[in-house]
Amino acid sequence: MYPQNNMSFMPAEDLLHTILADLKRTVGEYTTATTESNCSSVRQMFTDLTNDTLRAQGDLYRLMSQNNMYSASSKALRVDLDKQIQEARKKQQECQQFIQQKSSSAGGYGQPMHQQGQPSHQHNPYYM
Amino acid sequence: MQSMNMQPLTGKELEYIVDSISNEELLLKQCAATAASIQQPAIQQVCLQFARTHEHHMNLLLNALQQHQQLAPMQPQQ
Repeated sequence: MYPQNNMSFMPAEDLLHTILADLKRTVGEYTTATTESNCSSVRQMFTDLTNDTLRAQGDLYRLMSQNNMYSASSKALRVDLDKQIQEARKKQQECQQFIQQKSSSAGGYGQPMHQQGQPSHQHNPYYM
Repeated sequence: MQSMNMQPLTGKELEYIVDSISNEELLLKQCAATAASIQQPAIQQVCLQFARTHEHHMNLLLNALQQHQQLAPMQPQQ
């Protein structure tokens, strides 16, 4: 016999966790479906469904977080952040050197990269 | 605009749409079952709202299948 108490078959927290997990899986599948679409109307539908599902996943995460049902992973330490910034800067410099070498042999590719993580304001409307 | 962009579905697109309908169906049932068994009214409302969203998604996916129905070739093509 099942225990006679007022518990549902799973605690609320677990039920919400399963929905959250399925939203994460579904949004991943929608993203893949978008990239694999041939018909532009189908691609648009999958793009909209990806955005909608991402929004739902974010809303549920926030709700669970506010109700102490989900805690974010521990905070990254300053020392780790410093180290990663240093390595990223090194990669950026190496990339710039690579591009300069290539641009000397291929005309028209001599635009310098954006420096130090400045946001790019370039907008390319044609992204397909 | 839709009709200009409309092409017959590829086999891959059909599979993704069918899989997505299954995903949405599962999410819809989970949200409805969770709303029915949860005690806090605020969370219950959110679950019901989610269920409506997934129902809407299922309709969109089914409509996409129906819109492409007439465009599908009757015979396999080279």
